[in-house]
Amino acid sequence: MSSTLMYFLGFSMIYILMAWSIYLPYRVKHLHFLTVATMAVTSYMGGILAVNFGWSFVPTLLLSIVIGALISYLISHTIGNAPTFTVVIVGITFVFIIKTVIENTDYLGGTIGLFGIPMLDHPLIFLLVFLLVVGYFLYRIEHSRIGRAASVIFTDEDLAKSMGIKPKQIGMLFQTISGGIAGSAGVFYAFFVGSLFPDFFTFHLIGTLMTILFIGGYTTMWGVIPAALILRGIPMILPSSIASWRLLIYGVLLVAIIAIKPKGLITKNMLWKLLKKR
Amino acid sequence: MEFFIAQVLNGLSLGSIYVLLVTGFNLMLLVAKIIQFAYPQFVVISMYATWAVLRATNNVILAILVTIVVSIALNLLSEPIFRRITSIKGTDINATFVASIGLSMVLVEIMSHSFNQGFPISFSDSWVGGSVFRYGIINISRSSIFAWVGGIIVVVAFFYLLYRTMVGRSFRAIAENLYVAKLFGIPIFKTSMMSYLIAGLLGGFIALLLSMLIGTASPWLGESVALKVLAVSIVAGLGNLKGGLFVGLALGVVESFAIGYVAGSWSNVIAFVIMLIVILTKPKGLFGAAVE
Amino acid sequence: MNNNETTFLNMNNVNVFYDSIQALKNVSLEVAKGEFVVLIGANGAGKSTLLKSILNIQAPKGSINFKGKELTKLNTDKIVANGISIIPEGHLIFNSMSVLENLQLGAYHGKKNEQSIENILEYFPILRERKEQTAGTLSGGEQQMLSIGRGLLSDPELILVDEPSLGLAPKIVNDIFNILVKLNNIGYTILLSEQNAKKSLEIADRAYVLETGNIVMEGKADDLLNNEEIKDAYFGGNI
Repeated sequence: MSSTLMYFLGFSMIYILMAWSIYLPYRVKHLHFLTVATMAVTSYMGGILAVNFGWSFVPTLLLSIVIGALISYLISHTIGNAPTFTVVIVGITFVFIIKTVIENTDYLGGTIGLFGIPMLDHPLIFLLVFLLVVGYFLYRIEHSRIGRAASVIFTDEDLAKSMGIKPKQIGMLFQTISGGIAGSAGVFYAFFVGSLFPDFFTFHLIGTLMTILFIGGYTTMWGVIPAALILRGIPMILPSSIASWRLLIYGVLLVAIIAIKPKGLITKNMLWKLLKKR
Repeated sequence: MEFFIAQVLNGLSLGSIYVLLVTGFNLMLLVAKIIQFAYPQFVVISMYATWAVLRATNNVILAILVTIVVSIALNLLSEPIFRRITSIKGTDINATFVASIGLSMVLVEIMSHSFNQGFPISFSDSWVGGSVFRYGIINISRSSIFAWVGGIIVVVAFFYLLYRTMVGRSFRAIAENLYVAKLFGIPIFKTSMMSYLIAGLLGGFIALLLSMLIGTASPWLGESVALKVLAVSIVAGLGNLKGGLFVGLALGVVESFAIGYVAGSWSNVIAFVIMLIVILTKPKGLFGAAVE
Repeated sequence: MNNNETTFLNMNNVNVFYDSIQALKNVSLEVAKGEFVVLIGANGAGKSTLLKSILNIQAPKGSINFKGKELTKLNTDKIVANGISIIPEGHLIFNSMSVLENLQLGAYHGKKNEQSIENILEYFPILRERKEQTAGTLSGGEQQMLSIGRGLLSDPELILVDEPSLGLAPKIVNDIFNILVKLNNIGYTILLSEQNAKKSLEIADRAYVLETGNIVMEGKADDLLNNEEIKDAYFGGNI
């Protein structure tokens, strides 16, 4: 397998993980960018554990899931049912703070970066298996009472409350799970790339993830998969002079999809129709 | 004591800028019913316009005019996009927020690819202006005075407009209840356009004051400013215009003290940590939200 | 009724849909200049929807003509500017603004002079007393007066009044109805939607009866007042 293809598939799968971690809380209208800060924390944690303490991949991954979930769980006590923008600003503020902390901490490599993280031998297999597990888990949540309750909260929170649904509980649960997914994505990222830079965890990442979520569609968990592949793929096909405008293309696409087809390319109704035809 | 006064004075000039930014942001939130995360980006682009005109012609009047025109034009041009989005059935204000982040990405890329090879720009000393008054370490620059005086004049003019004119009353009417405003026969589209126009005019002033006060700009300036503006608006209570005045000034002062006492880039974090604590403990803001 | 008068307000085959539910079905209705017309019908019969469709608050399909102008393609503010105003159900006003500011906003399309607001304050002395008070602190009856007052300030020829008696004490309801009659006497054309059929038929010239979005009956108010069917269906609770 060519290294270009390997990187393409690996990055795409990490982005799908991250997009899912944003997708799940958005089921109750929370744009939970705390996950990006979480990813930064666990990737550096994983890197340090591997480089300085000789931890291997699997225990690091398990720890990162717990840490990621824990961060989101603690914060979710205050923003578990906060308005969308409060959740957004809390998340982005954390991203900014974590980034500054990394940049100013020599132990973490500062602005120069953290190097020498042992890379996985078969990253794609690990990623694929993990993605399937997470996907199955999300699928079960979607098709449970909790998933249906989330849909009610999305359309009408007052109606949900009158039906006995507790938006805060579901918000906290989704944010916690999302934190766990983001935690795992951080470690996968660290062990896939081998070096970490604070500049990776910025608005660019938030913007890219948002583009993947909204282009793919936020009404089903499947939309982000083709969206991640396509959006990661576009810059690879284009000549490098145009590919450097990648974020501009993402931005234009993001505005366009919201203005033309706000539910994204793949929607629940569309999947229903496909299923019925068969 | 001198040090204290110096930091307060510096903080108030930076705070004036935040006040104006959050006022323009809140105006569009209340009247056009959008979350315009790209508004600070429009300000930064207008600063680039100031810089470009000054470099090409060195004509101050022309630079001021172009800056204001660019700012108004950008805001008015964004209106059809947001109108289109808000008119789609079943979408809410979140959609405008997501789209404005997309817009923000586009603008950052344009600035980082097309101006000064992506390097930060800096304004000439004659534009920034020197010191006007010095007493020990208290140093009052011309740009600080512009920021204070400009800030006060613009805020007073804005609140005069809001409470003493028909346009202002219509703004407040739509902010309170869009449906009732419709029943009254208030022209929603025209009034909404006015809010973009005034936010644009405000943005032009902000660009001029900010370019003098900090003397530089970079493609990424807008992102951190946008974050602060959204945070200030939420800390004050989303859409709370009077609360925004207080919190905007407070942020300026807090940042100024952080810069005074804490080294390097850590200072930037202090203000964010404080705002984060406020938001986590009071998610609806200090003065109560005016929307939602 | 001569031809000239029928061209005042003319609704022709108007349909209104809320998503997939049809709230008005092929409604045709006329109001002549100077008339006092009442719409009666049960809650949910479509009276409110009919008034809102005239102002294009609920988008209508069909034709609505006012003084020779087609209204269905105009925005609400243009329709108000053309001389129609609505006194909405539940006396909707701007609660956080003062009485005076509410009146000023009501005059958005009217003559924006002090005198016209002065006339309203003359007519509703209670509003003059409360001029600087925030409107949200007024009593229900006072809010209804304010609502009527600001509705007059856009210089309307036709006033649509939606359920003015809802939630108000009987004494105040009488006051409001007297005000409507006086307004009609000094030349305003009135289209009133009202659940209190008996009372409104007593003061109106003509009436339309709405049932589940259809006009099922129309005629002179006096005739309907003596109609057995109407008596049975609508006078039960409030004779």
